[in-house]
Amino acid sequence: MDPVTLAIHATPAFVASAVEFVEATTIVLAVGVTRGWRAPIFGTVAATVTLAIIIATLGVAIVTIVPELLLKGVVGALLLLFGLRWLRKAVLRFAGIVAIHDEELIYLRELAELRAQGLRRKEFDWIGFLVAYKAVLLEGTEVAFIVIAFGAAGGTALTAATVGAIAAGVFVIALGAALRQPLTMVPENWLKFGVGAMLCSFGVFWFAEALGMTWPGDALSIPLIVVTFLAASWLAVRMLRALLPEGAQVEARRV
Amino acid sequence: MFRTIWSTLVGLLIEDGQLAIGALIALAITWAVANAGGGAAHDFVGWMLLAMVLALVLVNLYRAGVTARARVSSARR
Repeated sequence: MDPVTLAIHATPAFVASAVEFVEATTIVLAVGVTRGWRAPIFGTVAATVTLAIIIATLGVAIVTIVPELLLKGVVGALLLLFGLRWLRKAVLRFAGIVAIHDEELIYLRELAELRAQGLRRKEFDWIGFLVAYKAVLLEGTEVAFIVIAFGAAGGTALTAATVGAIAAGVFVIALGAALRQPLTMVPENWLKFGVGAMLCSFGVFWFAEALGMTWPGDALSIPLIVVTFLAASWLAVRMLRALLPEGAQVEARRV
Repeated sequence: MFRTIWSTLVGLLIEDGQLAIGALIALAITWAVANAGGGAAHDFVGWMLLAMVLALVLVNLYRAGVTARARVSSARR
Protein backbone atom coordinates (compact mmCIF):
# COMPACT_ATOMS: atom_id res chain seq x y z
CA MET A 1 0.00 0.00 0.00
CA ASP A 2 1.45 3.39 -0.99
CA PRO A 3 1.90 5.98 1.80
CA VAL A 4 -0.54 8.50 0.20
CA THR A 5 -3.44 5.98 0.13
CA LEU A 6 -2.59 4.91 3.66
CA ALA A 7 -2.55 8.53 4.89
CA ILE A 8 -5.79 9.53 3.14
CA HIS A 9 -7.83 6.57 4.43
CA ALA A 10 -6.07 5.73 7.71
CA THR A 11 -5.76 9.28 9.16
CA PRO A 12 -9.50 10.13 9.28
CA ALA A 13 -10.28 6.65 10.61
CA PHE A 14 -7.56 7.11 13.28
CA VAL A 15 -8.80 10.54 14.41
CA ALA A 16 -12.52 9.64 14.36
CA SER A 17 -11.93 6.32 16.14
CA ALA A 18 -9.69 8.00 18.74
CA VAL A 19 -12.59 10.26 19.75
CA GLU A 20 -14.87 7.24 20.25
CA PHE A 21 -12.16 5.28 22.12
CA VAL A 22 -11.56 8.24 24.48
CA GLU A 23 -15.28 8.29 25.37
CA ALA A 24 -15.34 4.52 26.02
CA THR A 25 -12.09 4.68 28.03
CA THR A 26 -13.54 7.38 30.30
CA ILE A 27 -16.46 5.11 31.27
CA VAL A 28 -14.29 1.99 31.71
CA LEU A 29 -11.84 3.97 33.87
CA ALA A 30 -14.69 5.29 36.02
CA VAL A 31 -15.96 1.72 36.56
CA GLY A 32 -12.47 0.39 37.30
CA VAL A 33 -11.61 3.11 39.82
CA THR A 34 -14.90 2.84 41.74
CA ARG A 35 -15.70 -0.87 41.56
CA GLY A 36 -12.44 -2.71 40.80
CA TRP A 37 -10.94 -3.79 37.48
CA ARG A 38 -12.15 -7.38 37.07
CA ALA A 39 -15.72 -6.67 35.91
CA PRO A 40 -14.93 -3.78 33.52
CA ILE A 41 -12.10 -5.79 31.91
CA PHE A 42 -14.48 -8.74 31.37
CA GLY A 43 -17.09 -6.27 30.06
CA THR A 44 -14.60 -4.72 27.64
CA VAL A 45 -13.43 -8.12 26.36
CA ALA A 46 -17.04 -9.34 25.94
CA ALA A 47 -17.96 -6.16 24.01
CA THR A 48 -14.88 -6.52 21.80
CA VAL A 49 -15.84 -10.12 20.96
CA THR A 50 -19.45 -9.02 20.21
CA LEU A 51 -18.12 -6.27 17.95
CA ALA A 52 -15.76 -8.63 16.15
CA ILE A 53 -18.72 -10.94 15.42
CA ILE A 54 -20.87 -8.02 14.17
CA ILE A 55 -18.07 -6.70 11.91
CA ALA A 56 -17.10 -10.17 10.66
CA THR A 57 -20.67 -10.97 9.63
CA LEU A 58 -22.52 -7.73 8.85
CA GLY A 59 -19.59 -5.45 7.92
CA VAL A 60 -17.81 -7.87 5.63
CA ALA A 61 -21.14 -8.88 4.04
CA ILE A 62 -22.01 -5.23 3.33
CA VAL A 63 -18.62 -4.42 1.81
CA THR A 64 -18.39 -7.60 -0.29
CA ILE A 65 -22.02 -8.25 -1.36
CA VAL A 66 -23.44 -4.75 -1.98
CA PRO A 67 -22.34 -3.32 -5.38
CA GLU A 68 -19.53 -0.77 -4.94
CA LEU A 69 -21.35 2.22 -6.46
CA LEU A 70 -24.54 1.60 -4.47
CA LEU A 71 -22.47 1.21 -1.28
CA LYS A 72 -20.60 4.46 -1.98
CA GLY A 73 -23.89 6.29 -2.63
CA VAL A 74 -25.61 5.07 0.55
CA VAL A 75 -22.50 5.45 2.74
CA GLY A 76 -21.80 8.88 1.21
CA ALA A 77 -25.31 10.10 2.00
CA LEU A 78 -25.15 8.73 5.57
CA LEU A 79 -21.68 10.21 6.13
CA LEU A 80 -22.88 13.60 4.97
CA LEU A 81 -25.94 13.50 7.24
CA PHE A 82 -23.97 12.42 10.32
CA GLY A 83 -20.99 14.64 9.48
CA LEU A 84 -23.16 17.74 9.19
CA ARG A 85 -24.61 17.00 12.64
CA TRP A 86 -21.07 16.71 14.13
CA LEU A 87 -19.88 19.82 12.34
CA ARG A 88 -22.91 21.90 13.35
CA LYS A 89 -22.50 20.91 17.01
CA ALA A 90 -18.74 21.59 16.89
CA VAL A 91 -19.29 25.08 15.44
CA LEU A 92 -21.96 25.83 18.07
CA ARG A 93 -19.55 24.63 20.81
CA PHE A 94 -16.71 26.83 19.58
CA ALA A 95 -19.06 29.81 19.26
CA GLY A 96 -20.15 29.34 22.90
CA ILE A 97 -23.75 28.40 22.12
CA VAL A 98 -23.50 24.76 23.26
CA ALA A 99 -21.41 23.61 26.26
CA ILE A 100 -17.94 22.27 25.41
CA HIS A 101 -17.65 18.46 25.75
CA ASP A 102 -15.92 17.94 29.10
CA GLU A 103 -14.43 14.46 29.64
CA GLU A 104 -13.50 15.29 33.26
CA LEU A 105 -17.11 16.23 34.06
CA ILE A 106 -18.46 13.06 32.39
CA TYR A 107 -15.92 11.01 34.40
CA LEU A 108 -16.93 12.60 37.72
CA ARG A 109 -20.64 12.17 36.95
CA GLU A 110 -20.07 8.50 36.11
CA LEU A 111 -18.05 8.03 39.35
CA ALA A 112 -20.90 9.48 41.43
CA GLU A 113 -23.52 7.31 39.72
CA LEU A 114 -21.45 4.14 40.13
CA ARG A 115 -20.71 4.86 43.80
CA ALA A 116 -24.42 5.41 44.41
CA GLN A 117 -25.14 1.90 43.04
CA GLY A 118 -23.23 0.26 45.94
CA LEU A 119 -20.97 -2.81 45.71
CA ARG A 120 -21.20 -6.34 47.18
CA ARG A 121 -17.63 -7.57 47.51
CA LYS A 122 -18.37 -11.36 47.36
CA GLU A 123 -20.44 -11.39 44.16
CA PHE A 124 -19.37 -10.75 40.59
CA ASP A 125 -19.98 -7.06 39.83
CA TRP A 126 -22.60 -7.29 37.09
CA ILE A 127 -23.27 -3.54 37.18
CA GLY A 128 -19.59 -2.79 36.45
CA PHE A 129 -19.58 -5.47 33.75
CA LEU A 130 -22.71 -4.13 32.03
CA VAL A 131 -21.70 -0.46 32.20
CA ALA A 132 -18.30 -1.23 30.60
CA TYR A 133 -19.86 -3.65 28.09
CA LYS A 134 -22.47 -1.11 26.99
CA ALA A 135 -19.97 1.76 26.69
CA VAL A 136 -17.43 -0.25 24.68
CA LEU A 137 -20.12 -1.79 22.46
CA LEU A 138 -21.80 1.54 21.69
CA GLU A 139 -18.61 3.46 20.96
CA GLY A 140 -17.19 0.41 19.18
CA THR A 141 -20.25 0.25 16.91
CA GLU A 142 -19.51 3.84 15.90
CA VAL A 143 -15.88 2.85 15.22
CA ALA A 144 -17.15 -0.02 13.03
CA PHE A 145 -19.36 2.42 11.12
CA ILE A 146 -16.38 4.78 10.71
CA VAL A 147 -14.18 1.97 9.35
CA ILE A 148 -16.85 0.82 6.89
CA ALA A 149 -17.53 4.44 5.85
CA PHE A 150 -13.91 5.48 5.31
CA GLY A 151 -13.11 2.15 3.71
CA ALA A 152 -16.17 2.11 1.44
CA ALA A 153 -13.94 1.93 -1.65
CA GLY A 154 -12.98 -1.56 -0.47
CA GLY A 155 -9.58 -3.25 -0.84
CA THR A 156 -6.71 -1.02 0.28
CA ALA A 157 -9.04 1.74 1.57
CA LEU A 158 -10.78 -0.72 3.92
CA THR A 159 -7.44 -2.13 5.08
CA ALA A 160 -6.07 1.39 5.68
CA ALA A 161 -9.20 2.46 7.61
CA THR A 162 -8.98 -0.71 9.74
CA VAL A 163 -5.28 -0.05 10.44
CA GLY A 164 -6.13 3.54 11.45
CA ALA A 165 -8.90 2.43 13.83
CA ILE A 166 -6.78 -0.31 15.42
CA ALA A 167 -3.87 2.13 15.88
CA ALA A 168 -6.25 4.61 17.57
CA GLY A 169 -7.56 1.88 19.88
CA VAL A 170 -4.06 0.74 20.88
CA PHE A 171 -2.91 4.35 21.41
CA VAL A 172 -5.90 5.46 23.52
CA ILE A 173 -6.13 2.24 25.59
CA ALA A 174 -2.36 2.36 26.29
CA LEU A 175 -2.65 6.01 27.33
CA GLY A 176 -5.66 5.27 29.56
CA ALA A 177 -3.96 2.25 31.16
CA ALA A 178 -0.78 4.25 31.82
CA LEU A 179 -2.49 7.33 33.27
CA ARG A 180 -5.57 5.75 34.93
CA GLN A 181 -7.43 9.04 34.74
CA PRO A 182 -9.71 10.67 32.15
CA LEU A 183 -7.87 11.59 28.98
CA THR A 184 -8.50 15.31 29.27
CA MET A 185 -5.27 16.14 27.47
CA VAL A 186 -6.72 14.73 24.24
CA PRO A 187 -8.14 17.80 22.44
CA GLU A 188 -11.50 16.10 21.94
CA ASN A 189 -13.45 19.19 20.89
CA TRP A 190 -10.86 20.04 18.24
CA LEU A 191 -10.84 16.44 17.06
CA LYS A 192 -14.63 16.43 16.79
CA PHE A 193 -14.43 19.58 14.69
CA GLY A 194 -11.98 17.88 12.34
CA VAL A 195 -13.93 14.63 12.29
CA GLY A 196 -17.13 16.48 11.34
CA ALA A 197 -15.32 18.11 8.42
CA MET A 198 -13.80 14.78 7.34
CA LEU A 199 -17.12 12.90 7.54
CA CYS A 200 -18.79 15.58 5.39
CA SER A 201 -15.90 15.57 2.90
CA PHE A 202 -15.92 11.80 2.46
CA GLY A 203 -19.73 11.97 2.17
CA VAL A 204 -19.55 14.47 -0.71
CA PHE A 205 -16.67 12.55 -2.32
CA TRP A 206 -18.31 9.08 -2.21
CA PHE A 207 -21.77 10.32 -3.24
CA ALA A 208 -20.42 12.16 -6.30
CA GLU A 209 -18.25 9.14 -7.23
CA ALA A 210 -21.33 6.92 -6.98
CA LEU A 211 -23.01 9.21 -9.55
CA GLY A 212 -20.11 8.74 -11.96
CA MET A 213 -17.92 11.76 -11.18
CA THR A 214 -14.16 11.44 -11.48
CA TRP A 215 -12.55 13.87 -9.04
CA PRO A 216 -9.39 15.64 -10.21
CA GLY A 217 -6.49 13.75 -8.63
CA ASP A 218 -8.99 11.13 -7.37
CA ALA A 219 -8.60 10.72 -3.57
CA LEU A 220 -6.17 13.66 -3.50
CA SER A 221 -9.17 16.00 -3.77
CA ILE A 222 -10.37 14.85 -0.34
CA PRO A 223 -7.87 17.05 1.61
CA LEU A 224 -8.99 20.01 -0.52
CA ILE A 225 -12.67 19.34 0.33
CA VAL A 226 -11.75 18.96 4.03
CA VAL A 227 -9.97 22.34 3.99
CA THR A 228 -13.03 23.92 2.32
CA PHE A 229 -15.33 22.55 5.06
CA LEU A 230 -12.92 23.71 7.78
CA ALA A 231 -12.71 27.19 6.25
CA ALA A 232 -16.52 27.46 6.04
CA SER A 233 -16.82 26.26 9.65
CA TRP A 234 -14.23 28.79 10.84
CA LEU A 235 -16.23 31.47 9.01
CA ALA A 236 -19.40 30.23 10.72
CA VAL A 237 -17.76 30.41 14.18
CA ARG A 238 -16.67 34.01 13.50
CA MET A 239 -20.15 34.88 12.22
CA LEU A 240 -21.85 33.40 15.32
CA ARG A 241 -19.43 35.15 17.71
CA ALA A 242 -20.18 38.43 15.98
CA LEU A 243 -23.93 37.77 16.22
CA LEU A 244 -23.99 37.03 19.95
CA PRO A 245 -23.67 39.81 22.53
CA GLU A 246 -20.28 40.10 24.30
CA GLY A 247 -19.78 37.34 26.91
CA ALA A 248 -23.03 35.58 26.10
CA GLN A 249 -22.88 31.83 26.72
CA VAL A 250 -26.09 30.16 25.68
CA GLU A 251 -26.57 26.58 26.67
CA ALA A 252 -29.51 25.61 24.53
CA ARG A 253 -29.75 22.35 22.63
CA ARG A 254 -32.56 23.23 20.28
CA VAL A 255 -31.19 26.30 18.56
CA MET B 1 -28.08 0.48 22.70
CA PHE B 2 -31.47 0.85 20.98
CA ARG B 3 -32.15 3.97 23.06
CA THR B 4 -28.91 5.54 21.78
CA ILE B 5 -29.71 4.60 18.17
CA TRP B 6 -33.20 6.06 18.67
CA SER B 7 -31.86 9.30 20.21
CA THR B 8 -29.36 9.63 17.32
CA LEU B 9 -32.15 9.26 14.79
CA VAL B 10 -34.37 11.70 16.68
CA GLY B 11 -31.44 14.11 16.93
CA LEU B 12 -30.76 13.78 13.24
CA LEU B 13 -34.33 14.18 12.03
CA ILE B 14 -35.88 16.44 14.66
CA GLU B 15 -33.15 18.34 16.53
CA ASP B 16 -31.21 19.07 13.35
CA GLY B 17 -34.24 18.46 11.16
CA GLN B 18 -33.82 21.45 8.89
CA LEU B 19 -30.19 20.59 8.24
CA ALA B 20 -30.98 16.92 7.57
CA ILE B 21 -33.87 17.76 5.23
CA GLY B 22 -31.73 20.37 3.45
CA ALA B 23 -28.93 17.82 2.99
CA LEU B 24 -31.37 15.24 1.62
CA ILE B 25 -32.73 17.81 -0.85
CA ALA B 26 -29.14 18.70 -1.92
CA LEU B 27 -28.39 15.00 -2.46
CA ALA B 28 -31.61 14.57 -4.47
CA ILE B 29 -30.83 17.61 -6.67
CA THR B 30 -27.30 16.30 -7.27
CA TRP B 31 -28.66 12.87 -8.23
CA ALA B 32 -31.26 14.44 -10.57
CA VAL B 33 -28.67 16.69 -12.27
CA ALA B 34 -26.23 13.77 -12.70
CA ASN B 35 -28.94 11.65 -14.31
CA ALA B 36 -30.45 14.37 -16.50
CA GLY B 37 -27.22 16.09 -17.51
CA GLY B 38 -25.45 13.05 -18.97
CA GLY B 39 -21.66 12.77 -19.19
CA ALA B 40 -20.98 16.51 -18.98
CA ALA B 41 -22.75 16.75 -15.62
CA HIS B 42 -20.46 14.10 -14.14
CA ASP B 43 -17.59 16.60 -14.21
CA PHE B 44 -19.19 19.07 -11.82
CA VAL B 45 -21.90 17.35 -9.71
CA GLY B 46 -19.47 16.86 -6.81
CA TRP B 47 -18.51 20.54 -6.72
CA MET B 48 -22.19 21.47 -7.00
CA LEU B 49 -23.06 19.24 -4.03
CA LEU B 50 -20.17 20.74 -2.05
CA ALA B 51 -21.36 24.30 -2.78
CA MET B 52 -24.96 23.48 -1.82
CA VAL B 53 -23.91 21.80 1.43
CA LEU B 54 -21.61 24.69 2.43
CA ALA B 55 -24.38 27.22 1.76
CA LEU B 56 -26.79 25.05 3.76
CA VAL B 57 -24.40 24.87 6.75
CA LEU B 58 -23.83 28.62 6.80
CA VAL B 59 -27.54 29.47 6.51
CA ASN B 60 -28.49 26.91 9.17
CA LEU B 61 -25.85 28.19 11.60
CA TYR B 62 -26.80 31.80 10.92
CA ARG B 63 -30.39 30.97 11.86
CA ALA B 64 -29.13 29.15 14.99
CA GLY B 65 -27.14 32.26 15.93
CA VAL B 66 -30.13 34.53 15.43
CA THR B 67 -32.27 32.22 17.63
CA ALA B 68 -29.56 32.15 20.32
CA ARG B 69 -29.24 35.95 20.23
CA ALA B 70 -33.01 36.29 20.67
CA ARG B 71 -32.86 33.96 23.71
CA VAL B 72 -30.03 35.92 25.28
CA SER B 73 -31.87 39.19 24.70
CA SER B 74 -35.12 37.91 26.22
CA ALA B 75 -33.24 36.38 29.20
CA ARG B 76 -31.49 39.68 29.94
CA ARG B 77 -34.71 41.64 29.86
